Amino acid sequence: MNWTCEQTEARLSDYLDGVLTQTELLAFKVHVPGCERCAPLVASVSELVRGLQSMEQLETPPRLVYSILDKTLGPRESVTGWRGVLAWVRGVASVRLAYGALSVAATLIIFVTASGFNWRHPKLADLRPATIYRNADRTVHLAYGRSAKFVNDLRVVNEIQSRVREENDLRANPESTVPDSSPQKQPGSSDGSKPTTPRQQNRANDLVRHMEVLAAELPLFCGTLGGR
Amino acid sequence: MEQDAQLVQQCLQGDASAWEELVRRHTRRIFNICYRFTGNGTEAEDLSQDVFLRVYRTLASYRSAHGGFATWVTSVTRNLLIDHYRRTKRDRVTDSLDDRMPAVENKESSARRPDELALLGELSGQVQTALTKLSPDLREAVILRDLQQLEYGEIQRVLSVPEGTVKSRINRGRIELARILQQMGVRPS
Repeated sequence: MNWTCEQTEARLSDYLDGVLTQTELLAFKVHVPGCERCAPLVASVSELVRGLQSMEQLETPPRLVYSILDKTLGPRESVTGWRGVLAWVRGVASVRLAYGALSVAATLIIFVTASGFNWRHPKLADLRPATIYRNADRTVHLAYGRSAKFVNDLRVVNEIQSRVREENDLRANPESTVPDSSPQKQPGSSDGSKPTTPRQQNRANDLVRHMEVLAAELPLFCGTLGGR
Repeated sequence: MEQDAQLVQQCLQGDASAWEELVRRHTRRIFNICYRFTGNGTEAEDLSQDVFLRVYRTLASYRSAHGGFATWVTSVTRNLLIDHYRRTKRDRVTDSLDDRMPAVENKESSARRPDELALLGELSGQVQTALTKLSPDLREAVILRDLQQLEYGEIQRVLSVPEGTVKSRINRGRIELARILQQMGVRPS
C-alpha cells in the first residue's frame, strides 16, 4: 500500500487515536520516518496533543459561583450579627473543624493556665503579654526546680534502699563478715574474708540519719521503708 | 450523570440548593471552555454567567434522554460562544476572518492581565495565545476534544455536526495549532 503526505495530514488524528488498520499503520510507519515533510509534522502534533491533554483545568475565580447564583436566584439575603456568625459557622461546620477547634481551645487553656492566669479571679492585667511572659517564666523555673528536687529525692531513696539491702545481707550472713578460724590460717595473715570495719559501722550510723531525714521529707516513702 | 438529572428534577420543583449544587459542579468546566475560547478572563466570567442564566431559564426544556446534562450545558455554552464571536466580529469591522484573527488575538494576548498570566503559566499562556489564532470552528473542536477530553459522540451532539466533520475539524485544528506554535518558537511538551 502506498502512503502519501496528504494521507498523513488527513489521517493524523486517526493515527493518534490508534484507529488505523494494520495495513494503513504499516504503510504510515514506512512512509513517515523517511519523509522530511511528514516526520516533523507527526512529531509536533503528537507532542502538542500530549501537552494539551496534560494541561490542568484553570481555577474558577472565587466570586464567579456567587455571581451566577445572584444572577439566577437573585441576591441572597444578607444576615448580620449573631445570625450572620451562626450562618457562617453552619457553612464551615464539619467534624474535622470541630476537633481542630477543640484542640486549639485545649491548648489555649493549658497555655493560659501555665502562664499563671487565675480562672477564679480573672483580671485583665493577667492577660498582658509582659505579665504572661513573667508568669510563664516563673512557672517554668518552679517546675524545673520541683523536677530537680524530685529526681534528687529519688536518688537519695535509691541510695538508702541499696544500703539497707547491704545491711540486711550483712545481718543475714554474719559468718561472711566474721573471719572463720581456719586451721591453715597463720597469725598476721589474711584468709580473704572481710571483717566489719569502722567504716561500715559509720555507714550504718549514716543510714539511720538518712532514714530520719527521709521520714521528714518524704512521708510517702517512709511508710514503704518502715515496713522493711 | 444520574445525579445531575436528579438535581435538575429537584431544581424544577423549586429546590434552590439543588441549583446551587449544579452550578458548583459545572462552573469550572464552563469557565475553562469560555476562557480557552475567548482568551480573556473577564469575558470568560461574563459568558459563564450568561450560560448559567440561559440554562436556568430553559431548564425545563432539558431532556435526559437526549444526552447528559453536562453535554447539554456544553452545547448551550458553545452556542453562546459563537453568538459572542459573531457579535464581536461585527464590532471589529474587518473584511476577512483569516486576515483579522491574528491581529486581534495578538492584541488580546499582549493585553493579558498579570493575574491571568499567573493563572495560565508560561506554556499554557503561549498555547492559549496560539489557540485564539485558530478559526472558531477548529478552536472549539480542539478545546472540546483535547482540553475537555470529550468523546467524539459528545462533541458531535454539542456541535450538531456529523462525526466525520468533527474528526476533520479536530485533525485540522491540531495541525494548524502545531504550526502556529512552531511559528511562535514554542515546544508544547
